[in-house]
Amino acid sequence: MATAQENPLLEGLQIGRTPEPCILVIFGASGDLTKRKLFPALYSLAFRRLLPEKFQIVGVARTEESDDEFRDRMKEAVQQFSRDEFRDDVWDALTDGIRYIAADFSNHEELDRLAAMMREVDEERGTGGNRVYYLAVPPAAFEVIVREIGTHSRAKGWTRLIVEKPFGHDLASARHLNAVIHEHFEESEVFRIDHYLGKETVQNMLALRFANGIFEPIWNRQFVDHVQITVAESMGIEARGAYYEQAGAIRDIFQNHLLQLLAITAMEPPIDFTADSVRNEKVKVLRAIHTPGPKSVVRGQYGRGYVEGEEVRGYREEPGVDPHSMTETYVAAKLYVDNWRWADTPFYVRMGKRLPRRETTIAIEFKRAPHPPFEELAAEGLRPNVLLVHVQPDEGVSLAIGAKVPGQGLTIRTVHMDFLYGGAFRTGLPEAYERLILDAMRGDATLFTRIDEVEEQWSLVDAIVAAWARDRPAFPNYPAGTWGPPSAEELLKRDGRSWRGH
Amino acid sequence: MARSLTSIREIERELSSLRMQPGAETPYQRTSVMTHTAWVPTEWVEAAEDVLSGLAERHPSRTVVLFPQPDDQDGLDGDVEVDVYPAGEGRQICTETIRVRLKGPRASAPASVVQPLLLPDLPAFLRWRGLPPFGAPEFEQLIDVVDRLIVDSTEWPDLPESYRGLTEIFDRVVVSDIAWARTSRWRPMLASLWPDIAGVQRIRVTGTAAQAHLLAGWLRSRLKRTVELEHDSADRLHGVDIDGEPAPFPPGDPPSGADVLSEELDTFARDRIYEDAVRGTLA
Repeated sequence: MATAQENPLLEGLQIGRTPEPCILVIFGASGDLTKRKLFPALYSLAFRRLLPEKFQIVGVARTEESDDEFRDRMKEAVQQFSRDEFRDDVWDALTDGIRYIAADFSNHEELDRLAAMMREVDEERGTGGNRVYYLAVPPAAFEVIVREIGTHSRAKGWTRLIVEKPFGHDLASARHLNAVIHEHFEESEVFRIDHYLGKETVQNMLALRFANGIFEPIWNRQFVDHVQITVAESMGIEARGAYYEQAGAIRDIFQNHLLQLLAITAMEPPIDFTADSVRNEKVKVLRAIHTPGPKSVVRGQYGRGYVEGEEVRGYREEPGVDPHSMTETYVAAKLYVDNWRWADTPFYVRMGKRLPRRETTIAIEFKRAPHPPFEELAAEGLRPNVLLVHVQPDEGVSLAIGAKVPGQGLTIRTVHMDFLYGGAFRTGLPEAYERLILDAMRGDATLFTRIDEVEEQWSLVDAIVAAWARDRPAFPNYPAGTWGPPSAEELLKRDGRSWRGH
Repeated sequence: MARSLTSIREIERELSSLRMQPGAETPYQRTSVMTHTAWVPTEWVEAAEDVLSGLAERHPSRTVVLFPQPDDQDGLDGDVEVDVYPAGEGRQICTETIRVRLKGPRASAPASVVQPLLLPDLPAFLRWRGLPPFGAPEFEQLIDVVDRLIVDSTEWPDLPESYRGLTEIFDRVVVSDIAWARTSRWRPMLASLWPDIAGVQRIRVTGTAAQAHLLAGWLRSRLKRTVELEHDSADRLHGVDIDGEPAPFPPGDPPSGADVLSEELDTFARDRIYEDAVRGTLA
């Protein structure tokens, strides 16, 4: 398209960047992710007319299914999981471009069939040879699919590869997988998903920090006492026993979501919001993270307990889990970011399954007022200011400040100034996958993790896990429905601090 | 039935009591992203209420609706409403609507009523129904206390001549025109006809007079050439012919009135392309 300089009619027009025509190929189309997240997200994009007019979805999985059976199943999924009302006209328009192929990912001939079908679609629908491959498959299948699609001859358009987490299971395997990918794809064609980065509230951290003049001057070791990041889930491992046994909390949450939240909290201002500028700053933080030693990392595993009034089984009783499993379902750690801004400021992080509630928060706790000029009684109520970013639920930001209780004397109580997303913006928040799928189609990698970030994340995890090999904790060590093992409380208590109250 | 309030102080007191959640110790949380003022002469009351309903839910705001009643006996007669919406887990937020009837001479001093009701530090929008009385004290006062004026020139008679008054105030207040917003699907479509459209001499627009004049004004101002306009009257924009050739219809459905107004309330910057288009209508 011509620029505004060449075409004066374009000046001032708010033209949304609709992706170019393309085929989206979902490997793992019969899986849970496709049903619960990908199709509801695609429907929501279609609902808002954000998909290109010339667009086709091809589902690929081992399950034998016809096009119609696949469409019917996805229709049910959209009706069940979409955030938008179900409209036949929107679905019909989307379904018109849905095909399904039952194929063994490792079978060259079956993937030949896929390639032939895509060439047909290019002819019929004008998708121009552009491909987005979405690997919604277990990690074990990544490599074979990457090799297969990589060795099939490329069509004339662009190709993008979306890879779900986890990207490898340690630094060596991540590097190996990356080497396989780079045999066939350029780094600019690879989109490694960490869906937390697609969440509005995570992106709002960037807005909060870099669009407001008041926070950045105090966003450093001079004013911040410490940072607490919590990623708590009340649910257990659901039906993912086999995967979770291999991953544990450190690979499932810490290595990706948690370190990305930390990176966004601690990063320096990027010069602009292009993909590389943002990722350059994040990787500097990831490279600077260290944990002071094995005692600064706590792991736990849940036993029987109560969640929302219901008695739930312990981790070792979950289906697909070794009854003597030593896999951790909880990790808490004290981390430091060794740079000018954050030297000696602890970042306490914790994440776990079967905790009392679902909550993802980033709490910036500021240093106390140096000399409160109040009587002792009044000063008792004085607590440090906390800026709390609610990633989920109750998406928003609140600032805890001390306020005088009305009446005689001077008593101080902590009150909250709240900004709730649902309160200020009454439009529904888009699901992370909507944003990420659209960005990948547009070729915008800002909210995807680059290989050097992944490698830094694995380096830290490998260092922690190596220390774990030397001891054998008495699992289970926290009942389901509690905030983790007592040693997690000890971790902060040693520093004269405590986890935020609930 | 809402209680009649006769001073700003009474309005504020009533708002504060309505904000208290019945039976609860803490008040509802008030969330506001703007003050939205609407000037609604009698003939526009029904239409204005239609659009306002639902708007508060999308843009939590304090809405001040002014009903000028210059022929009544001097006085101020207000009522307030607090609407509560769920937000987050177990929380409710409230937004406020203040309706004030400005009677007798007070109808010509509306700024003195609006100013104490503006929420501090938040943008203030003024929605003016019908053709504003450019130069009249009530209009001049109000545009000096708000950040953005929203009009719908579809509601105006004598186009394009009525645009002349508007061009005089562009340097004083940022202006949004719903009629212009309703051409937003067509402008990218017409822009996509570049370079063929560069030498256009005549357009024929089937739509409202405002849409026709604004599209012609836009083409004249952007292409810096004379473009003749032929207008076929219709209640919405149905088609544009470029030198006798129909332009392709833009994709998608036209947005509703509330949607268009809602989008304008998210806009803060001055729209110089619109301002040029308005000047272009008079060329």
